Amino acid sequence: MIKAISTKSLEKRYGNSFTALSDFNLEVEKGSIFALLGPNGAGKTTLIRILTTLMRQSSGEALVEGFDTRFHGREIRSLTGVVPQENSLDRYLTARENLELHGRLHGMPAPVLRAKIDELLELMGLAGRRNDFPDTFSGGMQRRLVIARALLHEPKLLFLDEPTTGLDPQSRRAVWEYIRSIAGSMTIFLTTHYLEEAEHLCDRIAIMDHGRMIAQGTTHELKKPLTGGTTYEVEFESDASAFFDLVKKMNCVKGFSFEGNTALFRLESWECLSELASGLSGAPVRRISLRERTLEDVFIAFTGSGVRE
Amino acid sequence: MNLGGMLAIWRRDMLVMRRSIISELVAVIAYPLTLYLAFGIGMQGYIGLVEGVPYAIFIAPGLITMTAVNAAYNESVWSLWFHRRVQFTIESYRVTPISVSDIVVAKILSGFTHGLIKGLAVSIVIFMITSFRFPLIHLFQYLLFIIPGSAFFSCAGVICGTVMDKPETIGKVEAVIVMPLIFMSGLFSPLSSYPERVLPLVRLLPTTPLFEGARVALVKGEFLMPGMIQISIYAVLLFITAVFVFKKRMSE
Ligand SMILES: Nc1ncnc2c1ncn2[C@@H]1O[C@H](COP(=O)(O)OP(=O)(O)O)[C@@H](O)[C@H]1O
Ligand SMILES: [Mg+2]
Repeated sequence: MIKAISTKSLEKRYGNSFTALSDFNLEVEKGSIFALLGPNGAGKTTLIRILTTLMRQSSGEALVEGFDTRFHGREIRSLTGVVPQENSLDRYLTARENLELHGRLHGMPAPVLRAKIDELLELMGLAGRRNDFPDTFSGGMQRRLVIARALLHEPKLLFLDEPTTGLDPQSRRAVWEYIRSIAGSMTIFLTTHYLEEAEHLCDRIAIMDHGRMIAQGTTHELKKPLTGGTTYEVEFESDASAFFDLVKKMNCVKGFSFEGNTALFRLESWECLSELASGLSGAPVRRISLRERTLEDVFIAFTGSGVRE
Repeated sequence: MNLGGMLAIWRRDMLVMRRSIISELVAVIAYPLTLYLAFGIGMQGYIGLVEGVPYAIFIAPGLITMTAVNAAYNESVWSLWFHRRVQFTIESYRVTPISVSDIVVAKILSGFTHGLIKGLAVSIVIFMITSFRFPLIHLFQYLLFIIPGSAFFSCAGVICGTVMDKPETIGKVEAVIVMPLIFMSGLFSPLSSYPERVLPLVRLLPTTPLFEGARVALVKGEFLMPGMIQISIYAVLLFITAVFVFKKRMSE
C-alpha cells in the first residue's frame, strides 16, 4: 500500500557546508497522526518545506501520497493542506475572504466553496468573526483560521508545523481539540517541540535532532527502553537524606536520590512498593507518588540532554 | 498557466485597492498636481510655448504618465516585498496547485492595473482644471504607450520586490533609479535641450520613448511607432526577466 509520506536518504544542505537534513528515512502510514518531535533548529521545518514542494532537497527521494516531490508538485499540492510555522494570513482580507481566495487558488467551484467555508468556520469556532480581519484575532483564533484554510479543499494529508507554539495553555488545548476533531478523515503530520503535545495527539512519533532521525515508534514503544523499573517520588516531613539508612539495605530499590524533603526511588517493579512502604513505616512520610516516564525522559535517554527550548 | 488562480490573486489585489481607493487616490494625485500647479501654471508666463504648445500643456501628459508608471512600480515592489517578507502570503499561494509563474504574472497584472487607474485619475483632475481638450483618438494612441509603459514598470517593481529584502533598499532604488529615469525622459524639458552627443544615450532609456511618445500622441495626435515598439520590446524583455528572477528566488 502507498504510504502517505515516504522519504529515502533525504538530504538538505544550505550553502556548501551546513547540513540541515541528513540521510533522513521516514514512513508515515495513511490515516495516522504522526508527530515529528525535535528542538528548535532540528530541521523540522526544512523537512516540511521539502514535503510541501516549497523547497528542493539536495539529494535523496521524498514521496507524498506516492508522488515524487521533485516532479509532481502540482499533484502533491492539490492533495495536501499546510499550516506553516508562521501564520501567513492576509491581514487586508477578512477571515472569510482569506478562505475564499485560498479556495479559488485550489480551483474550487463557488457554491461548493461557500458551503465549505461556512462549515469550517463553524467547526473552528470562528463563525461569529467571519467578517473580521485576522489582525483583530487572538493568537489561537488566527491559528484556527490557518487550520481552516488548510482544510478547505479537503486534503488527504495535513501538515502542521508547530501548530501551538507561542499559544497560551488554554488556546493550545483548544487547538488540540480541533485537531482531534478532524483526525481520522486524513493523515496528519505535525511537528512540535512540546513532548506533551506529541504524546497527547499522536499515534506515532519520530524524534529528530541536528537533521537526523534519532528514534521512532509509538509512544509506548519509545518509552519501553526506559521501563527497567518504575520510579516513585516520596515526600518527607523533613530532610529526606535522614532516611537513607532505612532503605539502603533493601534489595528491590535499584537507585535513589535526594533533594530537600523529597526522594526518588527507582524500584525493580511496582510490586516492590509495599516492601518500600513497610521499610519506611514510622518515618514521617507525607506523600508517595508514581513518577510517569514522559517523552522528555525518552528524549534525554536518546540524545543525552534535555530538549533545548 | 492557471487563469483562474491568476485571476483570484488579481481580484484580491483589486478588492484591497477598492477598500482604500479614496485615500490612495488623494495620495497619488497630490504630488503630480502640486508639480502641475507649481510649474505648469506658476511658471507658464515665464516659459511661454515649448515645442509649439503652452508649458502647462507640454508637461500635462508627462505628469499623467509619471503617475501611472510610478503607481505600477510602487504597487509591485511593495506588494512583492510585503507578501514575501511580512505576511508570507506568497508562501500560502505556493502551497496550492497554481504555479510560481501564475503568481508572478498575477502580481505584474495588479501593478499594471494600479498604474492605469491612478494615471486615469490624475488625467481627469488635470483636465478638469485646465482648458486642454483633445479628440478621443488621441487618447487611444496615448494608451498604446501607457500600457507597455505601466507593464514595464510593474515588471521592474516585481523584480526589485523579489530581490530586495530590506525596505530601505527599495526606497533608495526609487530615489536613485526610478525618479531620475522619469525626469531624464523629457518630462519637464524638451529632448532638444540635451546636447547632441548624449541624446542617443538618452533615447536608449526605456522612459524616453514612453514619455515622448505619450506626449506627442496626446497633444499633437501623432503616433511615434518606433518608440512604441521600443518600449513594448523593453516591457516584454523585462517581463521575461521578472518571471525568471521570481522563479529563481522561489526555488532557493
Ligand atoms: N534558508 C536557510 N538558510 C540557511 N540555513 C537555514 C535556512 N533555513 C533553516 N536553516 C538552518 O537549518 C537548521 C534547521 O532549521 P529548521 O528546519 O527551521 O529547524 P526547526 O524547524 O526544527 O526549528 C537550523 O540550524 C537553521 O538555522
Ligand atoms: Mg521550524
